[in-house]
Amino acid sequence: MIALSVLQLLVITGLAPLLHGAMKLLRARLQGRPGPSVLQPYRDLAKLWCKEAILPDGVSPIAVAAPGIALGVALTLAAALPLAVPAIPPLGEIVALIFLLALSRFSLGLAALDSRSAFAGMAASREQTIAALVEPTLLLALLGAAALGRGTQLSALMHVPFGLAGLLAIGAFFLVLLAETARVPIDNQETHYELTMIHEGLSLEFSGWQLAFVQAASYVRQLSFLLLAGLLLPGGTVWALAAWAVALAALVTAVETLFAKVRLFEVPQLLVSAFVLAAASIALRLLGATL
Amino acid sequence: MTLRLFGVGATWAISLLAAFLAFVAVTRGHMAFASIPAVLPALRFDVGVTPLAAPFLALLAMLGVAVGAWGLRGDRPVDAVLIAGFVAAMLLVLVARSVAAFVLAWELMSLVSAFLVAANHSCRSVRRAAFVYLVVAQSGALCILVALLLLASRAAGPTFSEIAVAAATMPPGTRTAAFVLALIGFGSKAGLLPLHFWLPRAHPVAPPGASALLSGAMLKVALYGLCVVVFELAAPAPAAWGVALVILGTVSAIGGVLYALVDHDLKRLLAYHSVENVGIITIGIGVALVARSSGVIALATLALIAALFHAVNHGLFKALLFMGAGIVAKTQGTVDLEKLGGLWGRLPWTAPLFLVGCAAIVALPPFNGFASEWLTFQSLVGGFALEDPVARILMLGASAGLALTGGLAAACFVKVFGVAFLGRSRRAKQSHVDEPLRERFNSATLAQALLAGACAALGLIPALAVVPLVRISAATLGALQPPGIAFAPLASLSALPIALVILSVAGVLACLALVARRGLRRVPTWTCGSPVTPAAQYTATAFSKPLRLIFAFVLRPEHRRLVETGTSPWFPARIVYRIESRDVIDEAARRLGAIALYAARRSRALQSGSLRLYLAYAVAALGLVVVLARR
Repeated sequence: MIALSVLQLLVITGLAPLLHGAMKLLRARLQGRPGPSVLQPYRDLAKLWCKEAILPDGVSPIAVAAPGIALGVALTLAAALPLAVPAIPPLGEIVALIFLLALSRFSLGLAALDSRSAFAGMAASREQTIAALVEPTLLLALLGAAALGRGTQLSALMHVPFGLAGLLAIGAFFLVLLAETARVPIDNQETHYELTMIHEGLSLEFSGWQLAFVQAASYVRQLSFLLLAGLLLPGGTVWALAAWAVALAALVTAVETLFAKVRLFEVPQLLVSAFVLAAASIALRLLGATL
Repeated sequence: MTLRLFGVGATWAISLLAAFLAFVAVTRGHMAFASIPAVLPALRFDVGVTPLAAPFLALLAMLGVAVGAWGLRGDRPVDAVLIAGFVAAMLLVLVARSVAAFVLAWELMSLVSAFLVAANHSCRSVRRAAFVYLVVAQSGALCILVALLLLASRAAGPTFSEIAVAAATMPPGTRTAAFVLALIGFGSKAGLLPLHFWLPRAHPVAPPGASALLSGAMLKVALYGLCVVVFELAAPAPAAWGVALVILGTVSAIGGVLYALVDHDLKRLLAYHSVENVGIITIGIGVALVARSSGVIALATLALIAALFHAVNHGLFKALLFMGAGIVAKTQGTVDLEKLGGLWGRLPWTAPLFLVGCAAIVALPPFNGFASEWLTFQSLVGGFALEDPVARILMLGASAGLALTGGLAAACFVKVFGVAFLGRSRRAKQSHVDEPLRERFNSATLAQALLAGACAALGLIPALAVVPLVRISAATLGALQPPGIAFAPLASLSALPIALVILSVAGVLACLALVARRGLRRVPTWTCGSPVTPAAQYTATAFSKPLRLIFAFVLRPEHRRLVETGTSPWFPARIVYRIESRDVIDEAARRLGAIALYAARRSRALQSGSLRLYLAYAVAALGLVVVLARR
């Protein structure tokens, strides 16, 4: 069972950069550019791995360790998904995973403030703001199975009947997905303008293998969140999950092409509407038996 | 020195006693120690322990040991003695088992703590804080007294066990009145919204050791009082009480953390976080009541375990954080986040210990706050299966509120630790702070290390607390049957913290190994080519700005810009930019206070000093008594 989990972890980690590369290529094609090779993220990671890491003068050990924590959290999330096995029992617990994601944000946020750069501090502030608003939605969107009395394990989500409540939940989760994977309209991964960066800004002062850690963590997180979204959609098999993840990745790319980034202070409206969707979904499920 | 040693010794002795009593309470359950008769039977003093008191006694013991160690160096010698008295008074509240004993111990606790709040009484704001605290404490105590007397009115005697027996036969109206009064009394002491306004004033001004006890222990003693009323004296509680507690708890949690976010006084911010955490504990108590009244004892037990566990945890990490703030205040001369920065290098002991406290309070695995907040979430999610649809929707709302609280608390502590301890100092004049003053290990750091160790131990091995808490909660709720399906969370909790963080620990080790092998080059921060100055760093005000704007409808921030013009109006000498958040409730409390003071001034006319007038009062009172007695 542990061996299967490790295998799942390796497969997700191995494929995560590929998916990112594919999304980048698709986006470029949709915008009429030739785009980079799908293997470009692997090359980037290899290049960064070989490079020397530099850090600002006098930073604390937190900034040294933060990329490791971020990568560890992303890998834990990948290992906890109920794909190869129902997940090692305590790991696949939804509430605990949400707390765990906070650990990664917390350490990256501290590292950003430690770097003495105003851009990094700004990014940390925005990242924490958006995360605070996303957290209730993320929780409620994933509690569909719990609302039917099936517990808070991720694996329980696979066999929840879809219906209107499921539709609302996936709608809410899709917006959360955009926020958590730093996509337009909430964030823009492709930006080179520090003032608009959120997720990228956090890692401004990282370089070399440290940056490779942070990048790898965000690739793995992205694939994990897409697979999580797949759990909310009908199917119930690993292949269905993978297919949904790819379809959603294409949808995310399409959204990135079709929509512009919204202003930071309009993001809350987007996230509040996501919360309303998630709350409505859970309320429907909770009252389904009595209404 | 002898005074200080006496105080510390007494604190430690009382802590040992508390630990012993906690042990007795867990192993033996209910136990009466002494019953001291009085002239009037209603004034009987009864002393004993119950399982419910055990976690609070244990918390008091742990905090007593740490605060005692802290007292060896910090604060004034007389504070060490006052702290011993404070700990003793809290111990008395926890072992009081009759109305008279409880009320007397409660008053003693309020008075001794008021002396501690007023320790630095040469400052006007401290005197005001102590005054507000005393007014709230006394009004609350009055409510508690009336509530207990109402509950005792039908009982055979004034002891808690007799009141508990009579509770079932009480008319619901009286019981609800007693609950509301007890909620006002204990809630105001615990800092539940909207009666929290004294707390952010009083807790920060006390000496650090006393702040640690005020936030860490006294708020929990107030919650203990609330638990005694709802689980014993007025049991069985109707579901509506639980609903009220869940709503109040959620509002307090969100309100507390929002005000903490925009506050940049480190100590006041910590006090607001106490409001938040008391809210989280109250949610647990409320869920326990709702579940119990629906007959789902297993869920009620889980919720009560979560509440009691979080009470202990909050006591530990809040005391740790207040001690850290005390060290910051002592070494830097300020607790204003806008002026701090870069303390990591200067406080090599306090900074990492403070980080443990921050991680625990924002419920990051593998620290204790995670274990208890996770259990609170589990009990809320367990409530999704309750029969009553209103209860289910309530649990849904509370889960969302708790998740929002968690996110906001994380943002707040990234701000606190990142701004105060990391980066570089924000002082304009760096003369005395920039010298490489290195903190040494001493009794004050030992006290923090003890608390941080407890936070880590309870987080890594939650079973240390959960195993006794299962017994305590089951005994408190009168659960007879073995725990059922709702206990699955408890079983998985034992392996959860380590499983969650093991890969992150591996990641950290990988980073350290890579640094050891390949090195890490240090360069100046890239600030687009401009010189690197401390002023370029993000500030606490800037950090919290997005959330301040988003929640402006609650926080109502006020921007003030003071421009000091020098010789020419076009070239201002100095611009001061200040943002203040107006606490709506604080404002209301201030108005009420003004009205009360006005009424007090007017009522002075009654005390004219004329002997004849006083005789007339006496005759009138006598007449009134005669008339009332005849009816």
